[in-house]
Amino acid sequence: MSRAEVSPEEMAPERVAPERAVSGAVVRAGVRAGVRPQTAAGFLALFRSEVGLTFRRARTLALLSILAALPVLIGVVVRVETGGESGGGGPAFVAQVTQNGLFLVFTALALTLPVFLPMSVGVVAGDAVAGEASAGTLRYLLVAPAGRTRLLAAKFTAALVYCAVATAVVALSALATGAALFPMGEVTLLSGDAIGPGAALLRALLVAAVVAASLAGLVAIGLFVSTLTGSGIAAMATTVVLVITVQILDSFPQLHAVQPYLFTHGWLSFGDLLRTPMYWDNVLDNLGLQAVYVAVFGSAAWARFASRDITA
Amino acid sequence: MVDQDTPYRTRRRTVGRVLVPVAVGAVVAAGAGLVPALASDSAPNLPAVSAEQLVAKVLGSETDAFSGTVKVKADLGVPSQLLGAAGGGGASPQAKALELLGGEHTLQVAADGPDRQRLGLVGELGGYEVVHNGDQLWAWDSKANEAHHVVLPKDAGHGRAAGAPLGAGSLTPQELAKQVLAAGAGTTSVTVDGTVEVAGRAAYKLSVKPTQAGSTVREVRIAVDAEHGVPLGVLVQVAGGGSPVLDAHFSSVSFATPAAKTFEFSAPKGAKVTEGRDAAAGAPAGAAEAAEAAGAARGKAEPARPGGDPGVNVVGEGWTAVLSTRLPEGGPSAGAGQDARGHGKGGPDNPLALVKSLGKPVGGGSLISTRLLNVLVTDDGRVFAGAVTLPVLQSAAGVK
Repeated sequence: MSRAEVSPEEMAPERVAPERAVSGAVVRAGVRAGVRPQTAAGFLALFRSEVGLTFRRARTLALLSILAALPVLIGVVVRVETGGESGGGGPAFVAQVTQNGLFLVFTALALTLPVFLPMSVGVVAGDAVAGEASAGTLRYLLVAPAGRTRLLAAKFTAALVYCAVATAVVALSALATGAALFPMGEVTLLSGDAIGPGAALLRALLVAAVVAASLAGLVAIGLFVSTLTGSGIAAMATTVVLVITVQILDSFPQLHAVQPYLFTHGWLSFGDLLRTPMYWDNVLDNLGLQAVYVAVFGSAAWARFASRDITA
Repeated sequence: MVDQDTPYRTRRRTVGRVLVPVAVGAVVAAGAGLVPALASDSAPNLPAVSAEQLVAKVLGSETDAFSGTVKVKADLGVPSQLLGAAGGGGASPQAKALELLGGEHTLQVAADGPDRQRLGLVGELGGYEVVHNGDQLWAWDSKANEAHHVVLPKDAGHGRAAGAPLGAGSLTPQELAKQVLAAGAGTTSVTVDGTVEVAGRAAYKLSVKPTQAGSTVREVRIAVDAEHGVPLGVLVQVAGGGSPVLDAHFSSVSFATPAAKTFEFSAPKGAKVTEGRDAAAGAPAGAAEAAEAAGAARGKAEPARPGGDPGVNVVGEGWTAVLSTRLPEGGPSAGAGQDARGHGKGGPDNPLALVKSLGKPVGGGSLISTRLLNVLVTDDGRVFAGAVTLPVLQSAAGVK
């Protein structure tokens, strides 16, 4: 980890203490009652603390601003380079973007989903436990009897929130860029039908939700990897390498039999929602697969984290 | 967690924890493996019918309005890249129809009578759509942002619609099954072989087998909807065994009349529109032609050779019918064979040399073989093609 990337929290564990005080207050209440606080409020406090921690990191903000800049870059390139004629080449939906700025949302999501979004999600999820361990804050967290399971659940949920925020950042930035550079109005879907701008915005919202949910499996994998090591950077790198490896495997025709079970396989199925009638089969397959990955790797992360010795 | 208060965690508990994700994985794997197996085992109970009754039910079916999703899986043993190249690539309906003959594809189909059909090819981040409404025929490729528009002649539109509504439309289970059922009485054994569930509907399995020796087709299996008499799926097995050469079936279907606006199509804003004045000039005609040729070949689901040479003859009948024609005369043949691969796409200078480089030499010429279709090109440039074995082709060519 480079010096510049180390956030203040990591540099000075004592500064984390007020941050953690939120959960600490709840914990104290629980101690007074003589039991661990298994309340929704307790979880919520822990969760809020995790979300705050995630989004206050300079690293997270840098990732989000890169994600926000990408649609602008794509929009400008398409605007400058597409002189009316777009003969089917280039990234997805480019022909549509020049007709309607709203399509930049879908182009941006299709372009960021294979690499940028999973990379940033891998950083956040991989860092979740291992980062605390390497910064030496994990044992402080566990001294409080908040419960390892609940801590893990809070970290998982916070990472899911990051997925949603990252996707929303890409979508909103693309929407703003698209509106600024290209005409808006009726949107021609992939099946050739036109729908009004309102309905198109709803579809964009739906697509963004599906894209964010597509990353859930990766979050679970990243969290599991994160519980395996005490080094934050190792967990992040492993998660990102895993994403790339799986996508390479997904491109071999010889591995046709296993490909439907790779967590990246259905990522681009969101395009099927841009048809009339919407074609849900692939999207639902993808979401089901993500649920399976969450179940398997989430429970693996729990099994590992709940029984591991915390030395850092 | 209780264990945080206890200083020592027992080894047994740790092992127990590790078993949780393993168990979750096992349950999921078992579920994924077992559920489809169980689902396909439960054959619905239906009253027994004879083959004749079932065929009559299909032919007499009045149901011509439906919508649904069709899965097409073709394994002709031809590389899909070659199919793409043969179709010329790009947005033309011909290319798309050929593309369907390799790999797996999903189609969204809707139809309301002979005059209105819609067919959408679901692609990753793209779509291809063919809409037929009365005398209007649109083909739309979202990736290329191109639309083809053809105004069909009034009368011809009806005639074509009755036989093959759209070129690519002949791949819907209905059309395929009807063509196969019409194929031939004396040469074919048709039996009802139990029941099956397709797209959540109870269906009879109609088994069609050639009784003639020499066909590469072993069995054509058609799932016929028990209530509506509509074919819901077609499965073609070849004599060589292995996976089905063609498996087209509905994965979901509704027999409600689709909304009228389903069949309304206008040129999308900003799309490049190619106008074809009538069917003969328009690109879809090629696909329709191909479908008709396929029909002429007694309905087997084989790709008709595009060509339109005047001298196409049919030798034999039934399942062992062989199409014969001549190779187009090439230009000067000098050295063309050396570079045949490079000429594959454009149009080789010497077709015979190209065929020789692609095919394998057999008695009397060169054989280009796929799992279903065999093509024999004799040394003097005659072409014999059919879903038949090599000896049948050779005897049709008179070379053996």
